[in-house]
Amino acid sequence: MKQRSHPIFYIVLVVALVAAVAVIYRYTVYPKDIAKNCELMELVDEAVQSNAEIIYLGESSDFTVASYDSDHRSICRMMADSLDGPRVCDMASAATHAGVFYDMMNRLPHKSNIHTAVVTVNMRSFTAEWIYSKLETPLRKQQLLLRRGPALWRKAQLVFKDYPRWDEKERDRLIVKHLRRQAAPPPYANARAWDVAMADSLWRCGANPDTIAMTCHYIKCFSTVIDETNPRIRDLDRIVKLCNKRGWRLIMHILPDDEEQMAHLVGPNLVQMLRANGRFVKERYTAMGVTVVDNQGLLPHSSFSEPDYPTEHYDQTGRKLVADHIVEAMIP
Amino acid sequence: MLFNSIEFLVFLPVVTAVFYLLPHRFRWMWLLAASCFFYMWFIPKYILILLVTILIDYCAALLMERWSDKPVHRRWCMLASVVSTCAVLFIFKYLNFCSENLVALAQHFGWAHPKRVLDIALPIGLSFHTFQSLSYVIEVYRGRQRAERHLGYYALYVMFYPQLVTGPIERPQNLLRQLHEEKTLQHENITHGLRLVLYGLFLKIVIADNIGAAVDAVYAAPADFGRVGIVTAMALYSMQIYGDFFGYSTIALGCARLMGFSLVDNFKAPYLAESIGDFWRRWHISLSSWLRDYIYIPLGGNRVSVPHWMLNTLVVFTVCGIWHGANWTFLLWGVAYGVLVVLSKLIHRSRQAGSLWSRLGGIAVTFFVVTLMWTLFRAPSLGDLHSLYAALFHGGGTAAVHLAPQVWIALAAFVAIDIATRNSRFDIWCSTLPRPLRWLLYGTIVFAIIAFGSVEQHPFIYFQF
Repeated sequence: MKQRSHPIFYIVLVVALVAAVAVIYRYTVYPKDIAKNCELMELVDEAVQSNAEIIYLGESSDFTVASYDSDHRSICRMMADSLDGPRVCDMASAATHAGVFYDMMNRLPHKSNIHTAVVTVNMRSFTAEWIYSKLETPLRKQQLLLRRGPALWRKAQLVFKDYPRWDEKERDRLIVKHLRRQAAPPPYANARAWDVAMADSLWRCGANPDTIAMTCHYIKCFSTVIDETNPRIRDLDRIVKLCNKRGWRLIMHILPDDEEQMAHLVGPNLVQMLRANGRFVKERYTAMGVTVVDNQGLLPHSSFSEPDYPTEHYDQTGRKLVADHIVEAMIP
Repeated sequence: MLFNSIEFLVFLPVVTAVFYLLPHRFRWMWLLAASCFFYMWFIPKYILILLVTILIDYCAALLMERWSDKPVHRRWCMLASVVSTCAVLFIFKYLNFCSENLVALAQHFGWAHPKRVLDIALPIGLSFHTFQSLSYVIEVYRGRQRAERHLGYYALYVMFYPQLVTGPIERPQNLLRQLHEEKTLQHENITHGLRLVLYGLFLKIVIADNIGAAVDAVYAAPADFGRVGIVTAMALYSMQIYGDFFGYSTIALGCARLMGFSLVDNFKAPYLAESIGDFWRRWHISLSSWLRDYIYIPLGGNRVSVPHWMLNTLVVFTVCGIWHGANWTFLLWGVAYGVLVVLSKLIHRSRQAGSLWSRLGGIAVTFFVVTLMWTLFRAPSLGDLHSLYAALFHGGGTAAVHLAPQVWIALAAFVAIDIATRNSRFDIWCSTLPRPLRWLLYGTIVFAIIAFGSVEQHPFIYFQF
């Protein structure tokens, strides 16, 4: 009869095999994987290579310009120009949010020249439309590679799809489910009912389909009551902890939204909801010692450049105002 | 739950470990609970459909056994069970297809026919567990299998998680018997099971999913691609679907083997088939043998006149086509295979055993025909199929199929292993290798899965059936 080796022999063999594969992978394919699947790592590398003192973490609001702008500088660049001194590194990428910012910040080396982190707080990023958005899946894939830990394990997570795999139907279902749980002003039972009722009443009034769509977008994007269970709040809490650990000064700046249009299309209730959410964020993080720059209501409708969807894309005047507000808060 | 997901990497060792830790009398409960959890990971409410089918077939089998001396009662009981099981399949899989075609037909003749479409998703693996349930009922009716008295064991027979959603379609004589047996932890089961799981993951993640991305691009816009690109994509799809389905079946076999269960082999080097008939003896064996035993032979098989046999063959392959999906492409695919099998058999009747070259020629011709047939299977509609062939014959596109060099190498390795294991199976073949070579192979496969595995989500192709 064939003699079997002791089980410990097999365990040692498996461990040795995995270790060998991990080393070979780390020094052969891993750099190519990062270049191919993780653009965010480039931003981290840039921050390291530029010896930045201030890092700016933002999304498309930072670099999106209006077609009529003559000044194409990003918010971060305008801020850096106003500060005129410290090296500022722009770590902005489209559709990112506090969860991604945390992973990018955590990836930065412990020993660096960084002393201040400016984190963008987009109020839309707290809502289901953003959390379950189509753009979340590619971001979560990048986050897997961004995180600290053995390269082999992180790639294995990616290969075995440890990221949201919602199809369109599932995505819609999750958004509707979230909206049904959100409180809405009377007489609506919840945010979903509000959304449906608004669409219905506008349709009956013979409103323009674009207006109906925009109104519903506003409700979907902002009718959320933020509390400590919101995933973005948890991410921001982690950012606060990380900055405390690294000794970085943390500045959060709440992006302004087009409140004029919101009030015009939906009514003042939604603006009040948005402001209440902003206050929640400001009070929570001010109490934790964070400098919170509240830009809500800062910009008029004319500063918003995107006509088809509620975004935080500003023209050059808007970007400058936001940048100046941040600089004011930074300079003691 | 998908076999190629992180959840499954946790699920598999936990289910296997707890299975061995529990006393035999509790194992069926654990496996049934795990199987329910596995199935409910997709759409939880659809488990109710399975439970209804299980209850009907369980009761029908018991009644058939009780009425062993009342053949009419037995027959009615069997028919009621078969009809109700098939009705569930029809409602979820074929009702919308029939309704849409009735509407189209009515419009063609100018009749008023309201369009009624049910907003329902096809429960995953419905066709597979329907056939598995049917085989149990028919076997009990034929007196070849005793009715299972324990509802839990019968439910586990239908729901056994490794083969629940994409087969292999098991027979009660094989699986139900094994479920009652007490399994002990054996070194051989663990090593063979792990080998199969590892190889199956390689086939799915490295071969099928990487090829899938390249093939999808061609089928999405065939006009953009040159002739070479389209032909390459057609051939690659043959490898994709094989890697995908064979990968799933191999993982299923591996998962079952880890707990000491042996499922039937579903593939036997199908692209080494020398004729179309031979191909169907090697491809999706559990389905083709099901069709043979429960449709072809009851119709008379080949012990009838030649025209009758031709008709039998056509019926079997039409059912095979429709079983795959409610679409004209699948129907056409099935009918075309029926015609091809008839022609192939007629030609081979007069052919002697050939030389090596004629066998190689047979393999090449069969692969070519099967590849052409897969285009019917892959095209979302007849219109898409037309676009593909229009681009192939008249197109002026210049784009080429892009597949990374490491995927070509993995594909070559897959073909080599398939040839090496043509009379065996991967896990058994591995045992014949010297230990250092075997471990080198494991390391290479692990490396290939993680380094070159596709990071995109590609569901198993057969999930849609």
